[in-house]
Amino acid sequence: MPADEPGRFIAIASGKGGVGKTWLAITLSHALIRAGRRVLLLDADLGLANVDVQLGLMPVVDLGSVLSGRTDVAGAITRHEAIGLDVLAGRSGSGALSELPAETLELLLTRLRVELASYDAVVLDLGAGIDRIVRRFALWSDRLLVVATDEPTSLTDAYAVLKLQTQDQPDGDVQIVVNQAPSAAAGQQTYATLRRACLAFLHREPPLAGVIRQDPKVRDAIRRQTSLLLRHPNCAAALDVEALARTCLTPRDAQD
Amino acid sequence: MHLKLFRAAGMAEAIAQVRVALGPDALILNSRNVPGGIEITAALEPETEPLQTDPARLAALTWHGVPRELHPALAHGNLEAAIAGALAFGELLLAAHAPPVMLTGPPGAGKTLTAVRLATRLVMSGTAPLVITTDGKRAGATEQLAAFTRLLGVPLLVASHPVSLARALLQRTEGAPVLIDTAGADPREAAQAEELRGLAATSGADIALVLPSGLDPVEAAELAVAHAECGATSLIVTRLDLANRLGSVIAAAAASRLPLVEAGIGAGAADGLVPFTPSLLAAMLSRSQGKHHAG
Repeated sequence: MPADEPGRFIAIASGKGGVGKTWLAITLSHALIRAGRRVLLLDADLGLANVDVQLGLMPVVDLGSVLSGRTDVAGAITRHEAIGLDVLAGRSGSGALSELPAETLELLLTRLRVELASYDAVVLDLGAGIDRIVRRFALWSDRLLVVATDEPTSLTDAYAVLKLQTQDQPDGDVQIVVNQAPSAAAGQQTYATLRRACLAFLHREPPLAGVIRQDPKVRDAIRRQTSLLLRHPNCAAALDVEALARTCLTPRDAQD
Repeated sequence: MHLKLFRAAGMAEAIAQVRVALGPDALILNSRNVPGGIEITAALEPETEPLQTDPARLAALTWHGVPRELHPALAHGNLEAAIAGALAFGELLLAAHAPPVMLTGPPGAGKTLTAVRLATRLVMSGTAPLVITTDGKRAGATEQLAAFTRLLGVPLLVASHPVSLARALLQRTEGAPVLIDTAGADPREAAQAEELRGLAATSGADIALVLPSGLDPVEAAELAVAHAECGATSLIVTRLDLANRLGSVIAAAAASRLPLVEAGIGAGAADGLVPFTPSLLAAMLSRSQGKHHAG
């Protein structure tokens, strides 16, 4: 495993909820594991966390346990054996985490960098919206994937995330993922729409990291609380996420 | 960004709709054929406001006692970015085969505790350092450090003058990292500056100034500049958990141009010291003034 692999901390944001962000975080983590990497999935949706629910896990420890000093970061990890994935759960329905003081958040981030050093990749599922904590996690990560669908509200919300990230870190590594695309060509069109807005208004051209095609198998996997790559490893969406994982393992400079 | 979809029988008609609804500045993002005509996605970005000095920010900087000449650099835009631009940040080079790190600073700054914390961090990461103290005079000084180094299982040597320091450094094995704790000194006094330069020259060490927060900003800036003139290359700030106002930290870092490297933020030996970052300082500056209010 090369130590200088690009973008060890990969954050996934979308602005709008319901575009498949958490699903993508899980499936991308799994694809990275299948590519031979040691991966941790961090549920950074503090307050409305649901990675564990989507995976059918019942964590007894989570980020809240770290913040309360009950355990260190390693002790707060729940293992999903079938996937081979380590999960650091958020805490669903806990207002306390979403109101984390800035200072506590900074100390938590510092600890995460140090105590998660042994993972090849850490995937962060950020919350919906563009609040202070989402923004801070996005800025702190090495690479930000912004998920959008072709719905107008998703496009404007994804654009809002891209705009804030551009303000916070003009030269950051930000890429776009189009999810639930009716076809690969339609996904390219959705990307083109977003790209034009970024070019005209932000003078930036975030690259396309991948298009995930709409696939009924995704819903099936979510309903069964498992990973798509376990249940339907050869369906269209699974192949698209595997391709996205390969892109994530390519240095930004070497990407087209 | 305002985004709106328009449908019409033809392109010209659709574009006319866009102009009516969004005005001449609207941008056509995309168009596609739909049953019965064409669909256009158009967008408009409202003007963004120019940077303005934030009155609440100015009030906070004043409350913290940040020197007035630094206000313009910190008063607008993203606070973290402003801090990163106005002050230097760095990393303490404390590794095998690196030069020794010598901790200096005024008496009571927390040099010994900082040495203990850095040694603990090294031991936890699997590298046992050699610890040397030049503070043989002060009653109990060595015993305090010895209690910790015994616990950590790392060697401690006492070297009260430059010659014994040179001899102690010969005991460094296999390039182990070296931490040197010193007696408190004030290099604004010529004799003490001389002594500090002598210790640094003998040991070839990088000097890290350990400065407690909560000092008078002018005093802190003077101390930092005097240490920088003696060859200090980094700044460690202690007792950040006990100070309300951070003006002295900013004053010292700005006047001396020393990079901030470590922040003492708690009582623990293992987790009381963390790398200093612009975001941490920004968070500390913006924390509610009421939270730590002196009342």
